[in-house]
Amino acid sequence: MSDYVKMWEDLGMDLETHDALCQVLPTAFGDVYLSQENRPEGMGFWDFVVSEIHGIRPSELIEAQKNGQKVFGTFCVYVPDEVVIAANGIVTGLCGGSQFWVPGGEKVLPKNTCPLIKASVGARLDRTCPFFRIADIYVGENTCDGKKKAYEILAEDVPMHVMDVPQMKRPEDIERWAHEIEIFAGVVEEQTGNKVTVEKLNEAIKIINNKRKALKRVYDARKADKLPISGKDALLMMQIAFFDDPVRCAEMCNKLADELEQRIADGVSVFPEGTKRILLTGTPLAIPNWKLHHIIETSGAAVVCEEMCTGTRYFENLVDEEQTTLEGQYKALAERYMKNNCACFTPNEGRIDDIIRLAKEYKVDGVIDVNLKFCSIYDTEGFFVERALKEAGIPVLGIETDYTDSDAEQLKTRVEAFIEMLG
Amino acid sequence: MTENKRNKPELNYYILFENYTHGLALEKLLKGEGIPARIAPTPRSIQGELSCGMSLLIKEENIDAVRECLERHKPKYHSIVEMECQINPNRNVFC
Repeated sequence: MSDYVKMWEDLGMDLETHDALCQVLPTAFGDVYLSQENRPEGMGFWDFVVSEIHGIRPSELIEAQKNGQKVFGTFCVYVPDEVVIAANGIVTGLCGGSQFWVPGGEKVLPKNTCPLIKASVGARLDRTCPFFRIADIYVGENTCDGKKKAYEILAEDVPMHVMDVPQMKRPEDIERWAHEIEIFAGVVEEQTGNKVTVEKLNEAIKIINNKRKALKRVYDARKADKLPISGKDALLMMQIAFFDDPVRCAEMCNKLADELEQRIADGVSVFPEGTKRILLTGTPLAIPNWKLHHIIETSGAAVVCEEMCTGTRYFENLVDEEQTTLEGQYKALAERYMKNNCACFTPNEGRIDDIIRLAKEYKVDGVIDVNLKFCSIYDTEGFFVERALKEAGIPVLGIETDYTDSDAEQLKTRVEAFIEMLG
Repeated sequence: MTENKRNKPELNYYILFENYTHGLALEKLLKGEGIPARIAPTPRSIQGELSCGMSLLIKEENIDAVRECLERHKPKYHSIVEMECQINPNRNVFC
């Protein structure tokens, strides 16, 4: 383990500040995760990854860099991993889910910026996230004003490429996104020194599709009447999927899904019968943001699905694997990624349809629309989300929160009242 | 969660390792013997020079079986630390 300290030193990290995170993480993980009974055996893999969270994957990435591979740090589910993998690059998620990093971001960003952006910028500038030290290049996207401007600040410190995500979903916007992907492929080729070929891209498309299918299998198990896995555990799997090698990720998720399917067949549940089923919708929950799941699942309900970027948006819809030209492949990628319903689009009715559909598929009793503080696009879209759910007769609770603990008790009271209301 | 039926504080045991290879090997061994153990991040207060990383969390009722298994197979591990259960789902302190 002391090897990790040496590695962090070599990465130029602020060890003293980073140690503060090492102190709180085991306690929080114990309270949230290890307090659960009868967890699937397969979760051992993710418990292991969390135990070594800033050590094991970073050391793999550094090894890969020694062998000439390049690491691309990404912030958003709109950036197509397939293109990077086709050029033998590696994609990694970045730190951004803890209050620990927020003050660092507030040094340069307005206070009324969402905590995800503040934490990401703080993690880089304060040198407390190994992933933010390792990546060779960072790939941003203009999915909100806060990020757009934050990337300009980050670009003074790190190499950045920003993808121009269209803000509407007309056919010409999909064409434009295909062109953006082509431009990105050029950046990837330049960075890696490897060509993106039809064969390589086809292989990469299959790798990421397989990962999506594996994640979906775990989610499908959450549709069962008797829930074989908690929402917290499924969230952890999803959060770590952004950091792991995609082939290993698929393998571990499939293994977990095997166990969950067996549990369903055996009638094993991690919740008592009659536990209320909640769908979460809204802004992403980056690791280690486990707050709302924990509050819900210690208040007599279970989270059965997340209509979020750290949820269904990450794995729903596959990329067509039958294309035989790069042009066709970029178009196929664009079509798949443009099916993601982010609040940055106008209009964004597809998201409302998704929420209603998922509420039925996962047989939910109620929906919680949760948005990170100062995320104006999701907050505003909440108007339509809540109205549509009310019209569909599905109870809904709107929550705005951040990464701090200060509102935990208040949230618990509101969530408990909502669950009680579900009858 | 922190107190058992006899109203005594519940004890947890953490098996610490020099590296995760030893930890994963022991986890596999215990699983093979049907002894419950969970991979857990080592509480910072007992990490010492080992820095942060995985440990195996053993509940009080299983520690005798674990010790017996260690005696029989002599797997590699650093130490076993006994501590009062720190796990508290009602703390609502996150990170």
